[in-house]
Amino acid sequence: MICGSNTTEAHPIVGLKVKEAFKRGKRFIVIDPRRTEVAAMAESQKDGIWLRIKPGSNIPVLNAILHTIFEEGLENREFLEARVENVEAVRQHVLDYSPERVSETAGVPAELIRRAARAYAMAENAMILYGLGVTEHKGGTAGVMALANLVLATGHVGRPYNGINPLRGQNNVQGACDMGTLPYVLPGYLHTDDAEVLNALAKVWQVARLSSSPGLFEPQMYDAALKGDFKGLYVVGYDPAHTQGDIGKVQRALKSLNFLVVQDLFLTQTAKLAHVVLPAACFYEKDGTFTSGERRVRRVTKAVPPPGQAKADWEIVCLIAQAMGYDMCYSHPKEIMDEIAQVTPIYGGISYERMGQTGQIWPCPTKDHPGTPLLHTERFPIGKGRMQCVSYIMPEEEPDRDYPLALITGRRLEHYNNGSQTRRCQGFDRLSNMEVLEINPVDAQRLSVTDGEIVSVESRRGAVKARVSVTERSRPGTVFMAFHFEDSLVNLLTSYGLDPKTLTPEYKICAVRITK
Amino acid sequence: MEKMQLQLQIDGRIIEAAEGQTILEAARANGIFIPTLCFLERAEEPRQPCLMCLVEIDGMGRTRACKTPVQNGMVVQSRTKELEQFRKERLQALASVHYGDCRAPCNLTCPGGINVQGYVNLIAKGEYEAAWRLIRERNPLPVSVGRVCPRFCETRCRRVLVDEPIGINNLKRFVGDYALEHGFKDDLPEKETGRRVAVIGGGPAGLSCAYYLRKKGHEVVIFDANERLGGALRYWIPGYKLPKKQLDREIQGILKLGIHVKRGQRWGDAFNLQSLKEQGFEAFFIATGLSKQKSLDVEGAELAWDGLQFLRQANEHSVAFVQEIQAKKRILVIGGGDVAVDVARSARRLGAESVTVIYPRSRVEMSAQQRDVQEAEKEGVQFFLMAAPLKIHGDEGSGAVKVEMARTILSEPDEKGIRQPVPMPGSRLFWNGDLVISALGQEGDATFKSYGAIEAAIAVTSKNTIKSNPSTMATNVPGVFAGGDVASGSRSVIQAVAAGRRAADSIHELLVREIGQTASDGRFNFSKGKRFEEVDLHNFDGASLQLSETMPARSPERRIHDFDEAELGLSEEMARREAERCLQCGCLGLSKCSFRELAVSYRVDTNKAPTRLVRKIQKDHPFILVDANKCVGCSRCERSCRYNALKLELSFNPETQMLEGSSITLTESCVSCGACVDACPTGALSKKGLAVPLFPEEVQKVSSVCTYCGTGCSVDVVVNNKAILEMRADKTLPPNWGELCVKGRFGYTFYRHADRLTVPLVRDSLDEPFRETDWVEAIGLVASRFERLIQDHGPNSVGILSSSRCTNEENYLLQKLARAAWLTNNVDNCARV
Repeated sequence: MICGSNTTEAHPIVGLKVKEAFKRGKRFIVIDPRRTEVAAMAESQKDGIWLRIKPGSNIPVLNAILHTIFEEGLENREFLEARVENVEAVRQHVLDYSPERVSETAGVPAELIRRAARAYAMAENAMILYGLGVTEHKGGTAGVMALANLVLATGHVGRPYNGINPLRGQNNVQGACDMGTLPYVLPGYLHTDDAEVLNALAKVWQVARLSSSPGLFEPQMYDAALKGDFKGLYVVGYDPAHTQGDIGKVQRALKSLNFLVVQDLFLTQTAKLAHVVLPAACFYEKDGTFTSGERRVRRVTKAVPPPGQAKADWEIVCLIAQAMGYDMCYSHPKEIMDEIAQVTPIYGGISYERMGQTGQIWPCPTKDHPGTPLLHTERFPIGKGRMQCVSYIMPEEEPDRDYPLALITGRRLEHYNNGSQTRRCQGFDRLSNMEVLEINPVDAQRLSVTDGEIVSVESRRGAVKARVSVTERSRPGTVFMAFHFEDSLVNLLTSYGLDPKTLTPEYKICAVRITK
Repeated sequence: MEKMQLQLQIDGRIIEAAEGQTILEAARANGIFIPTLCFLERAEEPRQPCLMCLVEIDGMGRTRACKTPVQNGMVVQSRTKELEQFRKERLQALASVHYGDCRAPCNLTCPGGINVQGYVNLIAKGEYEAAWRLIRERNPLPVSVGRVCPRFCETRCRRVLVDEPIGINNLKRFVGDYALEHGFKDDLPEKETGRRVAVIGGGPAGLSCAYYLRKKGHEVVIFDANERLGGALRYWIPGYKLPKKQLDREIQGILKLGIHVKRGQRWGDAFNLQSLKEQGFEAFFIATGLSKQKSLDVEGAELAWDGLQFLRQANEHSVAFVQEIQAKKRILVIGGGDVAVDVARSARRLGAESVTVIYPRSRVEMSAQQRDVQEAEKEGVQFFLMAAPLKIHGDEGSGAVKVEMARTILSEPDEKGIRQPVPMPGSRLFWNGDLVISALGQEGDATFKSYGAIEAAIAVTSKNTIKSNPSTMATNVPGVFAGGDVASGSRSVIQAVAAGRRAADSIHELLVREIGQTASDGRFNFSKGKRFEEVDLHNFDGASLQLSETMPARSPERRIHDFDEAELGLSEEMARREAERCLQCGCLGLSKCSFRELAVSYRVDTNKAPTRLVRKIQKDHPFILVDANKCVGCSRCERSCRYNALKLELSFNPETQMLEGSSITLTESCVSCGACVDACPTGALSKKGLAVPLFPEEVQKVSSVCTYCGTGCSVDVVVNNKAILEMRADKTLPPNWGELCVKGRFGYTFYRHADRLTVPLVRDSLDEPFRETDWVEAIGLVASRFERLIQDHGPNSVGILSSSRCTNEENYLLQKLARAAWLTNNVDNCARV
């Protein structure tokens, strides 16, 4: 089951595995408004299922699948009994989500939802891949929980060829989160309000005490900045003024800061708003480790020197800390990893010496632990798994009379995020050099726009130019754009809706209109 | 369940193998090499197997090692005479349809063996430091050679078949000068060996030898009779060609490696080889050059000045000398080599009103560089050709000289077939002037043999040059090496540099008993034609005309008033444009070409290769060059393509089953993942961006992780001279097992993009432009501003956004900075995008 993931474009190598599975005749269930390559694969299979849902309706559809599983008695009773809590409450909760009721909201036939439920539940092995099509919604966290409910109900977890896999959008977001660059957790997901943990950390870091009060999430920083409470920001390797949702607001917030420092490879949109710009080494020019979506920690090895005076990010951070009177001094990232292992239980056994060429997969708590490629074999980290009642969360903004089309944003194979790297690589401009608007032939005809035409795409927050591509890939009533180009900042259009828990912007749906 | 272990014998060796393994896999696992071209892991069968891996099995006969599973007790022969002969024949047949150049003609022609195509294309990409390092691997004197080289490479440049050759030497000079300006530095020797070597003579050969020996960690002392190093470059080559300031900087760059210099130490006076030996020197390189002028064999020759002395004095430019010359208004120079032309041009600069070069043959036979002859003419030097002096008369009173001359004709061929110039009967002319300079060039000189016992034992040639082996530079005396003009006779600077490098290699071998890495046989070469007329002009179909960048030069009228440099050097833009003209003759698939490796080891005859282009070379793919003329029909490309995007047509001879022709097309389904390129065992598919054709052992692979999506693919960053050449992926490593996407394989060139931030930028407010600064100011500013904000508004008024671009270690430090140094939990990352 692939939900909200354009796997072959956004994760091409995972996509190859998917293609291999397809070739071997594995049955596909794809939940996506767009006819992506994987959706087309499902569509082409005799028993494949493609739920071409309206954008924003993941939760009702997933709940309807669960509804069917319970209704038709397809749940894995043994597994539920042994390893899952709160089943009854959820069973009651999803009674409201019959496929027939959901059908209209989601824009898919009830029978197709039922077939999906049967296919997933009755498969001997079933794996779920999900992408940002699930998380980048107001109901993002809830959507993930709705998927997890399916896994728990069927017991498709803890064994090879099963489980649920979030496909991480960027190379080291996994590692960034593991390392605790989050306002509510410390390295290894230890909580900032755990006094014992804080005391231990304070000792290693040689400070008297650490703050236990929760920090601000990124979007909260912007709100606080606009209110005048938040004054100074240090941004490293990230271009929120280009890639955040509703960047008009982000840019206003950044401009209102008293002091902004940006450390990057290029003068990005964010760097253009900075007071100080620090030149950083890119990944070919530094040593360290990355952690991939499969929790594999691997060595990044310096291959060439950085240009001019550019330095590795870790060196710059150390310089700043030292200049502020804090003793942060390492001669090589290896020493930093040794400290990480000391304070991060899931990385406890990870070291450059042990890592080798293939890396180590966390949790790896001790120096003799082999790592854990397969999670949840016997138990879940909290003991029993707990099913959650998940309710439909409407998107912040849906198409209406003035802005009649739903815009989905996402990625293209040839470019990466703000494009600061790929747009500067030889040959790539020949593959893709301008923002493209994918639109269904029906909508194109109605709006009388033609293939190759340059149009303006407008939302309530802004307007950008794009070249039209008339294609069946887009669901009627929805259009698609990426966000890789500086001269068409698509995130000027995106919604201000946020997931209430993670504050992830609702990149996957906002209302737009097209003008010539 | 453990797989059963089996035992079998290959070529007499008993090895263990697992059940289910093929013979090929078992052999590889045990380090036994069975050749193959078409074998591809985890892929379907080839259209037509290459049959390279055929082996002989007792009781089974011939079979393909890649297809046959091992069995217990199996006895395999992989190297029987018949099999080897069979392989050779198949390879020879493939060679007869393989059309291309392994290495470019420029590269093959350079006496220094410099990877010309490589550095030219690195310049085209703006990778100047890598270009400089690539040159320095073979020539530590690019600033000097880039000004004086006779440019053997350019005479072979195929671009002449389109419009004009690439101005290669101008590019070398550009890189050399750029390196001086930007302070590029050599890597210091990794370790000291403690072995001492004496280099006698600090000219180009001596400097080159010292440089390469020092790089290997040996202690090197250069002994030079003069007060300053450089030899011919300093004392003979005039300043208008090579400014002494540039020479000084270039020599400084070499000495900085830690080379000792003993100045003013004349061999035979201050020391001899025996005394050096007693001081602990273990090897010697004699590179004293030649300083004896060929004698002028006419009556009154003693009245002529010595051309070499003249050049030296002109370079030293003493007041007395300049005054003396200024009185000589009319000068006659005898000779036709570089010395003669340099003397004539220097004489013009010293104020001579009339300078005439007299030479007994025609212009094209002059050994001087023709471009110098042209420049000399522009500067007003006259050439009196087909004429020879017969007698020089002097007038003691006035100081005037009169030269009796004759026109020459060529004699009947002598026993060697050479027609010598002889005076035309009855011809007689007179030249009246103020000074005659004899500039016939240098000749050998064996006086060194009297310097000591070791010296006496050194063998010399009939021309009184030292006899030394041209590839090792060894003389007949063990431990004594000789190179440069003293051994070869008068030659170009690059030839001296090459001799110095070869001597350094041999001395290193002698000292540490370490044979240098066995390089791919450099002489083995497929070629589209050694001579221009052999090259099929269809190779250049579609090439658009773009003439060579003209070297900016000061006008002749202006430059004859001083010794300042005449040619000014290409600008960066000109150099880039010039470099981009390169046709890239040398194969960009060289470093992956297993066909070549097999062809070398089976001694395939490249002369039987085709001489005509059959398929048009396709250059329209953004990343991939398709040249089916090099295809060997293995079908690895087609079988490695996971997107059905490669159309391969192969035709085989119905009788022999041998490949006759192929065509390769990348279709619209191509997603540019590049798997086919890396699978191709020749240059039929190659990467446009690769720039430098290198042998497999010349590239360095750095194992790392891809920088793009969260899959975390293994990549091998392929590096040479601190530049990234390409990305590959290892078939044995998870999670991608050799696969990459377009970004992973081709999305690396941003790293040297001109937009890269290279210095810290600061400003006080957003209305102002950025100002470049150094780290001290930038870090100080960041620290003090954050300190102030925390002090005035509390720790929660500041925060950090980290990202996936940062390593785990960097993310850890960033949150540590926020939490431990700033005492706030205001830290977040880009995970929401």
